[in-house]
Amino acid sequence: MLMDALARLSEWIQLILQNKYSRAGFFIILFIVILAIGAPIIAPKHYAEVDLNNRLRPPSLQHLFGTDELGRDVFSRVVYGARIALWVGILVVTIEAAIGVTLGMLAGYYGGKIDKIISAITDMVWAFPPLVLALGVVTLIGPGLVNVVTAVAIVSWPTFTRIVRAKVQSLVNREFVLAARAIGESDLSIMLRYILPNVVPTIIVIATLSIPSAILSTTALSFLGFGAQPPTPDWGAMVSDGMSQLTRAPWISSFPGIFIVITCLGFNLLGDGLRDILDPKLKM
Amino acid sequence: MMVKSLLVVEGLKKYFPVKRGFLRKPDWIRAVDGVTFQVFKGETLGIVGESGSGKTTLAKLILRLIDPTEGKIYFDGVDLVSIGKKELKKFRRRMGIVFQDPSASLNPRMSIEETLKRPLIVHGIKDSEEVRKMVLDILEKVGLGKEHLKKYPHQLSGGQQQRVAIARAIILNPDLVILDEPTSSLDVSIQAQILNLLIKLQRDFNLTYIFISHDLLTVRYISDRIAVMYLGKLVEIADADELFYNTKHPYTATLLSAAPIPNPEIRYVKRFSFIRGEPPSPINPPPGCRFHPRCPYATSKCKAEEPVLRDIGRNHYVACHRAEELDLSEYTRSLWRIITESRIS
Amino acid sequence: MTEPLLRVVDLKTYYKTSAGLVRAVDGVSFEVYEDETFCVVGESGCGKSTLALSIIRLVPYPGEIVDGKIIYRGIDLLKLPESEMRKIRGKEIAMIFQNPMNSLNPVFTIGFQIAEAPIIHFNMDSKRAWRKAIELIAKVRMSDPDVRARNYPHELSGGMRQRTMIAMMISCGPKLLLADEPTTSVDVTVQAQLLKLLMDIKKERRMSIILITHNFGLVAEVCNRVAVMYAGKIVELGPVREIFRNPMHPYTRGLMKCLPIGTKRKGQLYTIPGQPPNLINPPPGCRFHPRCPYRTEKCRKEDPPLTEVEPSHYVACHLHR
Repeated sequence: MLMDALARLSEWIQLILQNKYSRAGFFIILFIVILAIGAPIIAPKHYAEVDLNNRLRPPSLQHLFGTDELGRDVFSRVVYGARIALWVGILVVTIEAAIGVTLGMLAGYYGGKIDKIISAITDMVWAFPPLVLALGVVTLIGPGLVNVVTAVAIVSWPTFTRIVRAKVQSLVNREFVLAARAIGESDLSIMLRYILPNVVPTIIVIATLSIPSAILSTTALSFLGFGAQPPTPDWGAMVSDGMSQLTRAPWISSFPGIFIVITCLGFNLLGDGLRDILDPKLKM
Repeated sequence: MMVKSLLVVEGLKKYFPVKRGFLRKPDWIRAVDGVTFQVFKGETLGIVGESGSGKTTLAKLILRLIDPTEGKIYFDGVDLVSIGKKELKKFRRRMGIVFQDPSASLNPRMSIEETLKRPLIVHGIKDSEEVRKMVLDILEKVGLGKEHLKKYPHQLSGGQQQRVAIARAIILNPDLVILDEPTSSLDVSIQAQILNLLIKLQRDFNLTYIFISHDLLTVRYISDRIAVMYLGKLVEIADADELFYNTKHPYTATLLSAAPIPNPEIRYVKRFSFIRGEPPSPINPPPGCRFHPRCPYATSKCKAEEPVLRDIGRNHYVACHRAEELDLSEYTRSLWRIITESRIS
Repeated sequence: MTEPLLRVVDLKTYYKTSAGLVRAVDGVSFEVYEDETFCVVGESGCGKSTLALSIIRLVPYPGEIVDGKIIYRGIDLLKLPESEMRKIRGKEIAMIFQNPMNSLNPVFTIGFQIAEAPIIHFNMDSKRAWRKAIELIAKVRMSDPDVRARNYPHELSGGMRQRTMIAMMISCGPKLLLADEPTTSVDVTVQAQLLKLLMDIKKERRMSIILITHNFGLVAEVCNRVAVMYAGKIVELGPVREIFRNPMHPYTRGLMKCLPIGTKRKGQLYTIPGQPPNLINPPPGCRFHPRCPYRTEKCRKEDPPLTEVEPSHYVACHLHR
């Protein structure tokens, strides 16, 4: 069984490496993942380690990305920040997907009234700029990384719902679904066994492409002060912290900012490539 | 001895609404518009018709995949329209369906083994030994083997996929199998294999077939009786030979003479050459007889009054006011006699 | 002997796919004369569509014509630059496809699309071209041509779309029309009407038609000569009545024997044993030998050439030499 799974995984990696976009994205993400996993080994100092004798030092051999106003090594903080960026991005997208796919499936499969209600709700949430809505939610429930994750997830699920609903609608009248009903399969069984497995490739693509927005939204909220609280090395919070020193010590904001861009770029490229491989019809 | 009726369809109608904007009342597509017929146990009833005739909708209605607007469907005496979901599920194991495009009728994400297991599990056969045995058994009966179990549909050829679809339809030993254009998307040499298989399975499993097709050669080959549909209505139904040699409805004659026949000698034989007009839309069918705008024999009665399907003897039913007067066999009989004689051995 | 309109000599068209080199057309030679209907019949994957696309040089990537000559009215089409070939497409050689909805542009009226070719090839002004389009719509037997010309493809039925295709393709008076399964997606009565239309147009304009099909009924109805293709090669070629009366190649015989003629009471249908061939690694020697009930040692080793065994009747089989 394990051999099977490993074989399929290596097939997938081969496919990803063939497409030039996903190949580039794959290596970028791999790099970020290595940083995240290997943070304790790669980062020379702990992210909260304060050294008031070496405040605001420019990049050097001991401090690759320089130090901030508390003398903390910016490089180490960026490396540890990768952990946060990744898990936040993945968690947000997982929650979004759970909500969005369920609603999209129900709307697409049943149609009629259920579809009308779900679509109305989806449209309402969709109409708001996600950041504004998330800001509103976070104001209600308080700051903190977990709350930011929740807030972003519960305002961004409409993307999933819309696309999944469309995909489900295209599948629900196909002959293999009719055949399943002719056998006597229940609605739930059809949704889970017949329709969902055929929607999974689409979900993977959308999820990968949603991670950058999730990261950007959470870093934006952190930038505004709602997200990670000090000394958590969230990249957005780091950019915000460095704003006051932008002219004197630009490296404090720049490096975390660059890494935000690189990570988002990586996921976008990977997602584009995956889309070409899995579901070319999503090209818009 | 009366052969038993397995299926009796009475006055079956299915209308689909077509929205015409927000405030206007919808139009209706009369896909099936009052169809009545029977299917006898053990026979193969062929249903022919062109697009818009309602034959596929009819298949879906019989299997209760969609609800009829009106009418009754008696399966072994029980009206499938009026029973509840739970009871209907029990009847589902007694009916099977095979669709035209085998690659679309199999779940691309389910292995062959899983696809074949599902009917068994759905209907309560949970013992894994027994399930395995039944799956292997049915695979063998359709000409496939153990090596195909773990494969996925895209790894099989069209013919193999169709065999799997057939296996799925009969694994629970149903009484009735509906075949909706089962060979139309297959190559000629594979069609022959599948037709042979279907006939063999019918014998071995004592199956009753409803064989829907637009290909007259194939329908004639496999059917005992044939029904002809036009624009949601049944216009003629008779034993296969009788239909071909003693055609009574002008539409049937049109179909029979339009079908290309693989014999170059027939080119110069007189044909029913007035295939006029376009196939009409099922939204607003013409008044009176639906075929009258394209029928060279139409009279004022045909334009006003809809003909009823009636018995003209020899187990032959036609819906045409002029059935007794018209002699259409000159167009069809010679063609089809020649073709019978032209089989290569 | 008249000069043929089209002479194909040893044509080879291969597709370079990631799975390997697909030899879709692998050494095909035949001739088509003026005012004849030439059928290419075969099952899926035999290369017949690729053959048609090769003649009009529209083989899609990753396919490529790698060898051979296509001589149309004395000119080798394969030696022409694309700019010259464009002058031939539509004007001398035209092609209609199986699914008209895919060949028609959904955002333009059919009148506009029919008028396009005359504008391109004859530099006609648009008013004249529009009038010509209306004439052509009437010629393909659609009612109310001036109203129809303003219709969009989605407003028409399948049969009408196919007629539109025909109108488009004959607008510049081509001498050769390639038709790739033109009636497969329409009803049988519409098919009969379309075929009659094509045959009438052909007769009127002394046009030649190469009809690609898998349907022997169509072949018998309309063709003068027939080529049977298998695994990228022509295995039998000859006048239609001769081929039906006396099919010599075991594959042709097999195909005809398995047609569902008559009723099941006459017994089981004949079936050709085995599987359709792999075009990346075709069997050595005669491609049909693994499935042939008459095969010999020679068939395993040597690929039989297409030879004239009876007058005008060619077979590629060692048994008939």
